Amino acid sequence: MTEGMDRRRFLKVLGVAGAGAATLSACGIGPEPTEKLIPYLIQPEDQIPGTATYYASTCRECAAGCGIHVRVREGRAVKIEGNPESPINRGRLCARGQAALQGLYNPDRVTGPKVRNAAGGYDPIAWDDAITRLQAKVTAAQGHGIVFLTGADSSAFGDLVDEWMHRVGGRRLSYEPFGFEALRAGNRLAFGTAAVPAYDFANAKYVLSFGADFLDTWLSPVTFQNGFARAHGFDGGREASMAKFVFVGPRMSLTGMNADEWVAALPGTEGTLALALAQVIVSRRLAPLPADVGRLAALLGRHTPAAIAAAVGVEQEVIVRLAIEFANAKGGLAVAGGMAAQYPNGAAIVAAVNILNYVVGAVGKLVKFGPDLAVGDAATFGDVAALTTDMAAGKVALLFVHGTNPAHSLPGAFTQALGKVGYTVSFASQLDETAAAADMILPDLHPLEQWNDSRPRAGVFALQQPAMQPVFPETRHTGEVLLRVLGRTGTFQDHLQTRWRELHRRFGAGQSFEQFWMDAVQHGGLYGDAPARSVRLADSAARIFPAAAALEGSGDQTIVVFPHPVLHDGRGANKPWLQELPDPVSKIAWHGWVEVHPDTAGRWGVATGDFLLLKSAFGAVSAPVWITASVRPDVLAVPTGQGHAAYGRYAKNRSFNAFELLGAQANGYGGRTFAVRATATKTGEHRNIVTTEGSPRERGVGSVEVLSLARAKALIPGGPPFHPTGPSSVPPSEETPEYAKKAVEWWEERQFEQAELGDYQGEQPRWGLAVDLSKCTGCSACVTACYAENNLATVGEELMQRGREMAWLRLERYWLTDEHGRPQGAVSSPMMCQQCGNAPCEPVCPVYAAYHTPDGLNGQVYNRCVGTRYCSNNCPYKVRYFNWYNYAEPGGAWEAWPEPLPMLLNPDVTVREKGVMEKCTFCVQRIRGAQNQARLEDRTVRDGEIVPACAQSCPSEAIVFGDLHDRASQVSKLAGDPRGYHVLAGLNTKPAVTYLARVVSDG
Amino acid sequence: MTKTPVVWLCLALSAAALSAQSTGRYQAPVVSDTGGLQGPRQPIFFRHDIHSGQDQIPCMYCHYSAAVSSEPGIPALQTCIGCHQLIGGSTPSHQAEIKKVRDAWRERKPPEWTRVHALPGFVRFPHQRHIKALGAQSCTKCHGEVQRMPQVYQVSTLRMGWCVRCHVANKPNKVSRDCTVCHY
Repeated sequence: MTEGMDRRRFLKVLGVAGAGAATLSACGIGPEPTEKLIPYLIQPEDQIPGTATYYASTCRECAAGCGIHVRVREGRAVKIEGNPESPINRGRLCARGQAALQGLYNPDRVTGPKVRNAAGGYDPIAWDDAITRLQAKVTAAQGHGIVFLTGADSSAFGDLVDEWMHRVGGRRLSYEPFGFEALRAGNRLAFGTAAVPAYDFANAKYVLSFGADFLDTWLSPVTFQNGFARAHGFDGGREASMAKFVFVGPRMSLTGMNADEWVAALPGTEGTLALALAQVIVSRRLAPLPADVGRLAALLGRHTPAAIAAAVGVEQEVIVRLAIEFANAKGGLAVAGGMAAQYPNGAAIVAAVNILNYVVGAVGKLVKFGPDLAVGDAATFGDVAALTTDMAAGKVALLFVHGTNPAHSLPGAFTQALGKVGYTVSFASQLDETAAAADMILPDLHPLEQWNDSRPRAGVFALQQPAMQPVFPETRHTGEVLLRVLGRTGTFQDHLQTRWRELHRRFGAGQSFEQFWMDAVQHGGLYGDAPARSVRLADSAARIFPAAAALEGSGDQTIVVFPHPVLHDGRGANKPWLQELPDPVSKIAWHGWVEVHPDTAGRWGVATGDFLLLKSAFGAVSAPVWITASVRPDVLAVPTGQGHAAYGRYAKNRSFNAFELLGAQANGYGGRTFAVRATATKTGEHRNIVTTEGSPRERGVGSVEVLSLARAKALIPGGPPFHPTGPSSVPPSEETPEYAKKAVEWWEERQFEQAELGDYQGEQPRWGLAVDLSKCTGCSACVTACYAENNLATVGEELMQRGREMAWLRLERYWLTDEHGRPQGAVSSPMMCQQCGNAPCEPVCPVYAAYHTPDGLNGQVYNRCVGTRYCSNNCPYKVRYFNWYNYAEPGGAWEAWPEPLPMLLNPDVTVREKGVMEKCTFCVQRIRGAQNQARLEDRTVRDGEIVPACAQSCPSEAIVFGDLHDRASQVSKLAGDPRGYHVLAGLNTKPAVTYLARVVSDG
Repeated sequence: MTKTPVVWLCLALSAAALSAQSTGRYQAPVVSDTGGLQGPRQPIFFRHDIHSGQDQIPCMYCHYSAAVSSEPGIPALQTCIGCHQLIGGSTPSHQAEIKKVRDAWRERKPPEWTRVHALPGFVRFPHQRHIKALGAQSCTKCHGEVQRMPQVYQVSTLRMGWCVRCHVANKPNKVSRDCTVCHY
C-alpha cells in the first residue's frame, strides 16, 4: 500500500469534518437515562449480584428425564445446561431442553385461575373459590366417572394424582401421543416382559435401526446420541475404528441421515427383514447361537432371504451382506421403534428385531432389562381410545387434564367427545386446544418453578427443584392444589421430602436425612444402577407374524406421519426458538411439509412449495411439497408439530395438523397407527416455504470432507493430514502457497506493528475450536444453545424467508449419495465464525468495529459498528448477521421478546440494535468470565475451563474449545489430527476452527 | 447470615464513632441545606460521609460483592437494619432519616435509589478485577472521595477515553486495551 492517506484515515477525517456536531448525540454513547435501583429487602444467601448461581433440576420437556443445571442471574433463570452428574445426559442437553426457558417465560402463559362464564369466555376466579368449586364438582361427580389425564409422569406428582383418584373413585391415564405400546407388546411377545429396556449404544460395534429415531425423539435421545457418537465416531488408532450404522425405514429421519447405509425397505416389512437377517445368521452359524434357538427353526425357515426379498423390496445379496456384517461385528445392536413400531404390525416387528438381537447375543449385553425406562409405565393408546368412547357416551362427569394436549393429537374424536364431558378442569400453563375447551383452568407452575421428582429409568431418582420464584404469582403448583383437596397440610416440598424419607431408608445409610436430602438436591437426584435381569425367549416368540399388514383407507398413496424432531407432537410449537430452528433433515422452519420423492413429484408435476391435498379415511390436510430423495418413491411423509388451533401466538393457525390424517382407534397391540392410505391431489396453491437448505450463505460450495473408513484407517496419528478434495480445499501444509507467502508475511508484520495499539506481543492464547464431523449428527442442540446464550433474536417466518435469520451457528446439511445418486446419509456441518487468523472481514471495516483481538478472535464491537455490511460482503463463510430491524423494541413490528420473554436475556451479552452487524464470538463473555475468575485466584485459565454454549450442549461431544497455543490442550491435539481440515482453506484465511472429516463406514 | 454478629460489629463501630471526636478523626459536617448538595436527591438522605468517613465502615462491608463479582451490588435493606435496629440517630434530622429506614423495613418496601453511576448497556465492567489489581481501598479512584460526600455524585465521566487513559498509563503492567475486554 502506498504511503499517505489510506482509506481508513480518509474516512476518519471525513467523519470529523462532516459530522463533528453529531458525534455527541449519535450512537447512544453515554449513560442510560436515569434509572432506579431497588435493593433487596433481604439478600438471598445463595445469590451474588453479577454472578450466576446454578440449581440442579430435571428437564421435563420429554419423558427422558435429563439432569439440568439452571443458570440463575439476579433471581431469574437465564440458561439451561446439562447436569454432568446425571447418568442420563452426562451434562448434555438437546434443543428442546434448552427451549424450556421459552415455556417458562412464554408470553402466552395463563397467568391465573379462570372459570368459564355464560358468554363462553373466561372470568378470573380466586384460588380459594376455585378449589372450593373443584371440591364440589368432585363430590357431585363421584360415581359418575372421574378421570385424570396426565402426560408420562412417573413422579411424586403422578403418584399423588393416583392417590387422589383412588380416594374419589376415579382413574388416571397417562397419555403420550407417540407412545411405546409396540415396544412393550413386542417385548412381551419375544421375552414375556412388557418392560422397556436400556440400550447401550456406546458399546455397540454395529448399529442396525429399524425405524427407531434414537437421535431425535425415541425414548431418551440425549443418552442415545452420546452413546452412539462414542460408538460411531472415528477415533484414530483404535482397533475397531467405528461402528457401522445401517438405517431401515421408508424415509430418512435425523437418525436415518446419520447412517452409513440406508435400506429403504417397504413400509411395514421391517420385521420380515429382521427375521431374514436372523435366518442367515442362524443357518450359517455366523455367531455363537443361544441354546434355545432351535425353537425358532420353523419361524426362521419361512424367512429365508430368497423367500422374502421381493416382499421387503431389498435385494437378496444386500440382506445376506447385512447379516454377515451384523454378526461379524461381534457386538451388533438392533433397535426397533419410531415408524417401524407404529404400523398395525408394529408389535411383531419389534418382536422380530428382538429375535435378531437374541440370536447374536446382544440381549443382556447391549439390550439391558433391569434398568428399565419409565415410559414403560404409560397407559396405552387403547386406554385413551376407550376413554374417548366413554366420554362420547357421557360416562365421564369430570375430566382433569394436566401436561398433555389430546385435543391437538386426537383432533376429531377427542374434541367432539370433550363436549359430552360434564365438567373439564385443565391445569395447563398455556392455553392449548384442550385447555381452551375446559370449563376451569387452574394454571400449574412451570417445571422450572416447582418441586417434583421423576424416575427416568430404574435406579435413577431425579429431583426437580424450583430455580426461581414463579414468573406469575397467581399460578400454583398442581401438586399443592391436590394436597389441598386431599385435606393435607404442608407444601408439595414437604410431601416430596416425606416420600424421599423412604429412599433415605434404602440408600442413605450413615447419613442424616437432612444431609441425604441436601446432597440429592445439590446433585439433582440419586443416581444408582438397577440390577440387570436376564430374559429368555418366550413361547410366543416362535409364533409371531411380522408380515406387513394392510393400512386403513383406500387411497393410492402410503402416508407416514412422524414426530417433528424439535416440535415433537406439537408441544414445542409455541416456542420461537424451536419454530425458527430449521428441521435437521428438511431444513424447513416455521412450517410443515410433505416429503415427496423426485420421481413422484415429476410424475405429478409438482415443485417444492406446491400444495397437495392429502385425504385419508379420517381427515384431510393441505401441505406444501418438499421434494427429496430421502423418502421412498411410493411413500409420502408428513411431520406433526404444527397446525394448532390455539396454544399461543407462535403456534396458532400455522401450517397443518398431521394428526388429522390419523384414526382414533387403537390397533391390535393397543397402539396408534401412524401410517394410512390416502389420496394426494394438487390444489394449485403455492407457498415459499422457509428453508435454509442450499441457503445462499452456503454459496453453493460444499464445506464438508468425507473419508472412507479404509482411507481414514490409513492415516497415521500425528502423521501428515489427508488431502481434502472439496472445493477450495488444500491440506494445511499447503495453505499458503509459495507465491503468496511474501504477502502474508507482510500482512502479519503489519499486524505486529499495530501491536503498539494493544498488547499483541505478550503471550496470548489463540482460541480455537475443533469440530468432529464423525460425531456431529446435525441434531441442532448447539443452535438453540447459541440462541439462548447470546441473546439471538428470532425474526419470524417472513424475515427468515428473506434470509435474515440470526443463527450465529447454522448447520449445513449435505447428502451423501451412492453411485446412483440416491442419498445414503448426510453430513451436517456446524458453521460458525471461523475466527480467521487472516480475516477478510477485518480490513474492510471503515470504523474498526471488526478487528483482530490479541487472543486471535475476530472482534466485533457493536457500539462502533455503523452497519456498512462490508464485512459480511467480504466474509467467505457468510457467518455474519445483520440487524435489519430493532428486534428488541417493545411492541415493535419485529419484536423478538414480548413480555416476559426479555427475562431470559443473558445479562452478560449486549442486546444488539438495528443497523448493527453481529456474529459468533466464541462466547467471549465466557472467555472473559473465566479469565476474571482465574485472575482472582492468581492462576492461568485451565484447559477445558472455558466451554462455549455450543460445545457445552452438544450431545455427541463433537465440539471442543481451547487454546491452540497450548500444545497440551485437547483442541491442539484435535487440530493436529490427520483428519483435520479448514473450510475454504485455499482462501488463505487461516481459520481457528478445524473440522475433522466425516468417516463413512464402507462395510 | 445470622443477625447477631452484624449487631455486634455495629455496636463496635458506633463505639468507635463515639470516640472519634476525642482522637481527632474526620467529623462529618452538619448539613442544614440539602438543596446545595451535588448529586441526585435520594429517597433517604443516606450519608456516605458519616458511614464511610466518620464511622470508617469499609466500602465492602455493604457493597460486599465488589471484590468477587462484576457487580458491587446495592446493600439489601437487611444490611441497614442490622445496625439501625439499635442505632436510632443522635440528632432529630438523623432520627427522621433512620425512621424512614425502619419504616421501609416494617412495610417491606425497599427505597428506590436514584442511580448515580451507570454504564451503557454495551459495556462490561468487572469490579472484581479492578479491586484485585488496585486494592480494596481503590474505590475512590473512580467514585471519588465518597467518604466525604453527604450526597453521592458522579466524579468521573465514565466515558471510554477516561477508562482508556488509565489502561494506557498502566501499560508496563500489561493492562489490556483490547475492545472485547469490555465490549461484548
